[in-house]
Amino acid sequence: MSAADVSALQRPNDRLRRRRAVNRGMELLAWLASALGVAILGVVVWSVAKRGASELNLDLLTKVPVPFAIGNVKQGLANAFVGSLVVVGLATAMAVPFGILVAIYVNEFAPRAIRNGVGLVLDVLNGVPAIVVGIFVFGLVVVSHGQSAYAGAFALAVLMLPLVARATIEVLALVPSTLREASLGLGVTRWRTTLGIVLPQTVGGIVTGTMLAVARVSGETAPLLFTCSLAGTSIDSNPGHALQTVPVAIFELSESADPADHARAWAAALVLLLFILFSSLTARWLAARSRRKLGRAT
Amino acid sequence: MPRTGKLVRITLALAAAGLVAALAVTSAGAAGKRSTGTLKGAGSTLIAPALAVWQPMYGRDSLQYSAIGSGGGIQAISQRTVDFGASDAPMTKSQGEGCNGCVQIPWALTATSPVVNIPGVGAHQLKLTGTVLANIYLGTITKWNDPAIKALNKGLKLPNLSITPVHRSDGSGDTYVFTNYLSKVSKPWKTKVGNATTVSWPTGIGGKGNAGVAAAVSANSGSIGYVSIFYVIQNHLNLARLKNASGNYELPTIASIEASAQLVNSGRIPANNKISITNPPKSKKYANAYPLATFTYVIVPKTSPKAGELKAFITWALGSKAQASIKKYVFAPMPGSVVKAGKKTLATLHS
Amino acid sequence: MSTLDATGEAARRPFPGRRARTGDVLLQGVAGLAALGAVVLLGLLAYKIVDGARLSLSTFGLGFLVHVGWDPVHSHFGAGGFLFGTAVTSIGALILATPLALGIALFLTELAPRWIRGPVTALVETLAAIPSVVIGLWGILVLGPVLHDHVMPALHSTLGFIPLFGPSTTGSTIFTAILVLTIMILPIVSSISRELFLGVPPELKEAALGLGTTRWEMVRGVVLPHTRGGVAAAMILGLGRAVGEAIAVAQVIGAFNNGISWNLFSSGNTLAAQIALEYQSAETKLDVSSLFYLGLILLVFSLVVNLLARMVVRRVARRQGVPAR
Repeated sequence: MSAADVSALQRPNDRLRRRRAVNRGMELLAWLASALGVAILGVVVWSVAKRGASELNLDLLTKVPVPFAIGNVKQGLANAFVGSLVVVGLATAMAVPFGILVAIYVNEFAPRAIRNGVGLVLDVLNGVPAIVVGIFVFGLVVVSHGQSAYAGAFALAVLMLPLVARATIEVLALVPSTLREASLGLGVTRWRTTLGIVLPQTVGGIVTGTMLAVARVSGETAPLLFTCSLAGTSIDSNPGHALQTVPVAIFELSESADPADHARAWAAALVLLLFILFSSLTARWLAARSRRKLGRAT
Repeated sequence: MPRTGKLVRITLALAAAGLVAALAVTSAGAAGKRSTGTLKGAGSTLIAPALAVWQPMYGRDSLQYSAIGSGGGIQAISQRTVDFGASDAPMTKSQGEGCNGCVQIPWALTATSPVVNIPGVGAHQLKLTGTVLANIYLGTITKWNDPAIKALNKGLKLPNLSITPVHRSDGSGDTYVFTNYLSKVSKPWKTKVGNATTVSWPTGIGGKGNAGVAAAVSANSGSIGYVSIFYVIQNHLNLARLKNASGNYELPTIASIEASAQLVNSGRIPANNKISITNPPKSKKYANAYPLATFTYVIVPKTSPKAGELKAFITWALGSKAQASIKKYVFAPMPGSVVKAGKKTLATLHS
Repeated sequence: MSTLDATGEAARRPFPGRRARTGDVLLQGVAGLAALGAVVLLGLLAYKIVDGARLSLSTFGLGFLVHVGWDPVHSHFGAGGFLFGTAVTSIGALILATPLALGIALFLTELAPRWIRGPVTALVETLAAIPSVVIGLWGILVLGPVLHDHVMPALHSTLGFIPLFGPSTTGSTIFTAILVLTIMILPIVSSISRELFLGVPPELKEAALGLGTTRWEMVRGVVLPHTRGGVAAAMILGLGRAVGEAIAVAQVIGAFNNGISWNLFSSGNTLAAQIALEYQSAETKLDVSSLFYLGLILLVFSLVVNLLARMVVRRVARRQGVPAR
């Protein structure tokens, strides 16, 4: 090849120029799309943060609502915060042991077919819309026994179960089989191996899964609408009664015409969001830590 | 047992503590902190402000009320989810059967009223008739400067603005009263839409509860809605004057509502207390009557373990002290015949 | 690899003569019951929904799906209007969210300087954590008024010849619902896409770049085809989320049940939002049963979405030789 030919190859021709232009155009589009996406996300988060922060005060957590109050009556949403604590706490108490047991069966005992079957069931349960779970629990429990925190907690537990079970299955699968074999080889019984050797290894993952599930259901409104919404304004923690919860309170306040109600809704929304963020972040941080540790252990 | 990481153990301990705290609070509550004497009620948003006044008077922890709309109140008491239901609409035959031995007792008298949000039109300036109102909600009148509206409001500058009719999206006693009135004054409305707590609205948007409609009207320029009077006052809404059968344009006041309520004395009150006082006929007695006045009912089961407490509460609510306390929210005093009929029905309650 | 491997398999089977300990049987039994319980729960849920819908199913049959209008006075109920509303809002949200989500994902994996990646990822995660009732609150109080006062009139005056952008009278519209749903599904599609893009083997990308392709050509030729199935699954999941969303939509869509309109700036209603709004006040048995019928439609749809997404993931995994989960 002559020097002229080589330099001809190196000179940018029309086709290369066009390709470079298309590339620059596409990069610009990607920048724009993400800028737009990020802007939208930022606007929403900023909106909630700003309005919520400006209305946040201690009254929100300590005083109860006074409906139709004329004038400047000090009120808050203390009953909703207590109610949410009870309902979510009960839901967690229902879902976690159930989820762990399901995971133990799937991972330690079940033949392949059953494992896939139960896995499918959990996935399907996970995809059922929350409102459908709400009317299911209404038809199952509320029609015969009335509304209660138990009914609301049960509805939330149905939503939490697939999350907790899946997380536990995944983390059980990460425990190396050599650990089980060593234990069994030394003569330890199956049940003692599972509960005493394998399960403790997975505690971090279970806590992670549970906290993520709690973060998810703390903000759920639809399942509580028909199971636990006819509540009073005083602070009540009796789970046999229907208790007010934070998401339902926000929903009701959002439909009001009173700007003072809106203010309380924003403040409650911010507290709820902070709680959810705190739970999610802690859960993910724990997950990263235990993943690192298990990685070191093998 | 292998050692779990220190930080994981701390987090686990905190989470367990949180769970234990929640369960401790729960079980403390489950020990029955609140006495079983609390009367639980649900239903009409129209009566909700009155109950909010009554609650501290009667005893804060003895009453609990959720304003979910009259339809919700009927549903809740039918399923015995609550001790009493509240509805501005009397029960239909099938609802009565579904409630399985319930009675309804009128315990307050007030009105629902049309409110508008039109730029350039001040408070109480707009005049409407029942026919025009029906046509607006039927969708045949679509702009505020429609000739039919202009004819009623000579001298008022009406803009060329689309009308947004706002209705209740939940099962509502206000809807029942409103459609009851429209069915009486407009034949097309009666055949096409009808009279109930939930109807198939030909046009417009929905708001949840009186509060939702009030919010929608406040937020949307050119809108019209129907709202019970407390919410008109609370949200500073613009009332439209409504023409009654005698030809006068009336606003909902104690006087005009009391005039409408006189309608009960022209006949007998039926055993099930189902009374309609919308659109009183043309007569000197009803010259200043308000066409959209209504009684509102408390619905209770005839047989109930809480019959004693219910009787005590409702008797108190029908009494002069309770009725006087809500007059400021334009709940007019009920005619003596209605109170008497209500007390007679109340006496049939037993546990 | 341990020397116990040979005995590992044997360890799972009991030794001949080794009696089954009561503890083992107990654990297997209790855990098995729990697993059975999960299956029974799903069955019970499906049964209750179908049972609740029975009256409406027998009264209206499949005609329910095309009848438009919800008339409790004359007892004419139909899902037609809500199916339309659900379709328009969900598909609209998917159309808006997918390019934005892919753009964000590509940005985070290919284009962004290292210091931006952390904060932007955190922002996306934060949005995913916001409960629907809060987004609905924002929709009513912030988005609705802005759309009503500025955006919708502007779009109507410039693009009003298209029937989609008709006149608007309120802030509670189908368009508001579409935007709210877009915000809700954007984080899901974006996070999944980002993880998929991160999972593309770097050798493939470097090979393409080494052959002289531009970055866009590399993305178009390597990254996108490689993740095509996963992105499709992410979109399907996002669609499922949008269809099932009841609360936020109920807060902003205006609850109009009586007709189908292509005007995005008018009010409407969806399957899930109608259940949330009507349920407490449904008075007749047929009304309640019809709401269960709506729930049944949602349940069937969520099932289809789930199975479809699994199928797509499995086909992609098979093609790439990765063991499917």
